[in-house]
Amino acid sequence: MLIDKTSSKPGKQTTSSGQDKQPEQVLLTDMDINIERLHRFLGGGEDVVCRTLQHRSFDNTRYAILYIDGIVEGTTINTLLLSLLDDANNSYTNEKSSEGAGLYHHLTEQSIAIGKLSEVSTIEQAGYSILEGSTVLVVDGSLRAIVMDTTGGKTRAVEEPSSQTVIRGPKSGFTENLRTNTSLIRRIIKSPDIRFDYKMIGRQTRTNVAVVYLEGIAEQEIVNEVHRRLDKIDIDGVLESGYVEEFIQDRAFTPFPLLQNTERPDAASAALLEGQVVVMVSGTPFVLIAPVTFAKFFQSSEDYYQRYDIATFLRIIRMASFFISMLLPSLYIAITTFHQEMLPTSLLISLAAQREGIPFPALLEAFLMEITFEILREAGVRMPRIIGPAISIVGALVLGQAAVQAGIISAAMVIVVSFTAIASFVIPAVNMGIAARLIRFVLMILAGTFGLFGIMSGLMILLAHLCGLRSFGKPYMMPFSPFVPSNLKDVLIRVPWWAMRKRPLNISNDSNVVREGAGQKPSPDQEGA
Amino acid sequence: MVTLRQMATMVILFLIGSSSLFLLGGTAERDAWMSVAVGVLAGFVVISLVTLQIQRLEPDRNLIEIFMLYFGKVIGFVFGLVYVVYFCYKCTRNVREFADLSIMFLLSDTPLSVIMLIICIIGGYAVMGGPGVFFRMTEVLLPILILIYVLIYCLLIFTGTIDLARLLPMLEKGFKPVWDAAIPEIISFPFGEMVLFLMFWRYIDKSSFGQVMRVTLKSYLFAGAFITVMNVVIIASLGSLAGWSTVPLLQATTFVAIGDVFERFDPFVALLFFTAVYVKLTAYYLGASLALAYLLRISLRIAAIPVGIGIFFGSFWFKSYMHQVNVGFEQNIKYHFPIFQMYIPILLLIVMLLRSGVRSRGKVQKQPSSEDSNHAN
Repeated sequence: MLIDKTSSKPGKQTTSSGQDKQPEQVLLTDMDINIERLHRFLGGGEDVVCRTLQHRSFDNTRYAILYIDGIVEGTTINTLLLSLLDDANNSYTNEKSSEGAGLYHHLTEQSIAIGKLSEVSTIEQAGYSILEGSTVLVVDGSLRAIVMDTTGGKTRAVEEPSSQTVIRGPKSGFTENLRTNTSLIRRIIKSPDIRFDYKMIGRQTRTNVAVVYLEGIAEQEIVNEVHRRLDKIDIDGVLESGYVEEFIQDRAFTPFPLLQNTERPDAASAALLEGQVVVMVSGTPFVLIAPVTFAKFFQSSEDYYQRYDIATFLRIIRMASFFISMLLPSLYIAITTFHQEMLPTSLLISLAAQREGIPFPALLEAFLMEITFEILREAGVRMPRIIGPAISIVGALVLGQAAVQAGIISAAMVIVVSFTAIASFVIPAVNMGIAARLIRFVLMILAGTFGLFGIMSGLMILLAHLCGLRSFGKPYMMPFSPFVPSNLKDVLIRVPWWAMRKRPLNISNDSNVVREGAGQKPSPDQEGA
Repeated sequence: MVTLRQMATMVILFLIGSSSLFLLGGTAERDAWMSVAVGVLAGFVVISLVTLQIQRLEPDRNLIEIFMLYFGKVIGFVFGLVYVVYFCYKCTRNVREFADLSIMFLLSDTPLSVIMLIICIIGGYAVMGGPGVFFRMTEVLLPILILIYVLIYCLLIFTGTIDLARLLPMLEKGFKPVWDAAIPEIISFPFGEMVLFLMFWRYIDKSSFGQVMRVTLKSYLFAGAFITVMNVVIIASLGSLAGWSTVPLLQATTFVAIGDVFERFDPFVALLFFTAVYVKLTAYYLGASLALAYLLRISLRIAAIPVGIGIFFGSFWFKSYMHQVNVGFEQNIKYHFPIFQMYIPILLLIVMLLRSGVRSRGKVQKQPSSEDSNHAN
């Protein structure tokens, strides 16, 4: 068991970014003073445990372990204590060194039953390690302390992700625990090229953040840029990857997500394999993926598990749903208000009959229903689960049916709004769905005032906006613009796996794009007689 | 930076632009498509021998910089300003076309000023993004537009609206009416308008100017063929009616009916045409703004504001759509536009060839300033 002298505990580098409590205190030879100072550093809560021991072979030299109960793994602590106590009662005749330093070496090399050890020499380093769930061992007479990784405690088990569900595909999802999350990735990608760069963000929360990428496949420029942007963040707390996302996205004002998030280890691994960079934030199951393009938000990991023809069909359905959820109410408003001649006569008559007696113009009618639906949706999300059915009854019956019967809303409008709502649920990425929802309202106003002309103006501005967006320097509208023909194999359609020989160009390291061997198309000849 | 492919899409969309709204070479009647073909070839000669040659001599400068370099500060400035006005005027015409036709086909009750304001705003928004953003937009738009055009043509064929017999007899009155309709009208509009690209070519990410020339000429020919086909479709579906219609192709699509459901989709078709017009007017808007930015040494975002205001108020100058079309087809394309599209460029090219010494001197002096990179983004 060797001590990791260049400890990768991020506490070391970033103590300066923490609050300036007091100047760095070095550990002294007197153990009691060290323990006392550590207690003061940690604020002396009831959950700070200090267990003192004596070693028989080293002149009854005293040593102690400190940890915070609840954030350490109970069984690990017990194993540790067992090994220490067992060792303390043994007598080693050949090692007659009576100083603390001798005991220190003896302990690190022969007695501690913990895998990961490191060494610290100041109160701050020791204190921060304890706060992260490590156990610190101080020895009387030694100027250094041993930090043992005992992080653990109660965490959520790996469960099926609640968002981004699939019918076919792995059922495991990320958890709130960073170590669990990195292990989930490690279990999928067993490549020596995978890199986990850790940093710590948040003055108070000291949240661990991991930048994950595959060296040689990810573009080094982008990895550096991710690091640069993460290093610039100075905030007291990071509770979710959303905090980080808002700091590192390329443009502040846009409804469109410039980073993708996922709860699925397989989706994150797929991103890594395509040369994207994954940012994991401790405390949330949602990891960030960058750089990302507009089209990526319409891909589900299931696209790659189902057959390609089905996946292609589903993808087109999703794209269409996005446009329906963005455009349908505004098209309905524009056509019924300004361009009735476009409707077939019979439909026009039935619509006119329905709208007879409706007191509101189509724009207001649509707004009422859309806002109602948004409220219903939000209520559905925030309500305690038990009250859920009540919402659907009130929403569907009272607001839907009664509003039509009372002659406030036309039945056609209810159909349009419902269809729009269902379409908006089809988009696999929630953050892209929200963008469509916001834009829908703007387009509705434009349609209500300028008809199709207004919708077209809105779409042109939208297109100009989208073409100006970048995600970590990569054009958002790629591969449509700049046009990258080979990337089109996996955008609107998904070609079979044996035909996708290259990783998406321009996202990953372009000198290393071939990901599979040639000529793997199954054919009767290969199967033999 | 702009890729070659983006430039190609830009050339095509720019040339299709507002030409889809008119029957080009209408005076040649059913031989109009031949006039267009002649116009394409004549325009090809002009841009390959004049416009592209200017850029070939100075591949890294735009028109304004070239004027300043070869004509000196004062005369160069005057020529630059003249071109700003020319680009603005062209843009004004497109804005007015767009607005008038919107009122005619989509929004009969909305005031002209409001529509023109919206057009200027959506144009200005793209211009503010710079050439990079605008060229990327055209790259997204072109496939969609071409697809819809093909769809419309297919519908016209399947519903039997297109009758190629209407093109016969060809050259009934000889070749002269065809030639008269083409020269100089069709060169001036739309093919000679390629002079605007002297403002854009320098932003293209190129290893040699030869590439730019090849791609430009290829996409030019594609657009020319496209417009010729469009002309054939118009005449084949409308016959002699084509000359009388306000927007002939739109008129043709009103004959399309699939079952009883898709009868009147001409508002969508109108939007399709307007998208191309929008690209064209924004290209001119961008060209004028870039030119002004270079003349006054200000940033593009600032230059776009006065240009936009100028275009908006300039659009009120035409009394009506008919006035606008008349001014354009009776006077501008015969007398005024050739000045900017041919005479001044030819003059410039001659001066450039004579003063080739300036070029070698200028290369050392003028490095791309920081302002340039600002524009390119």
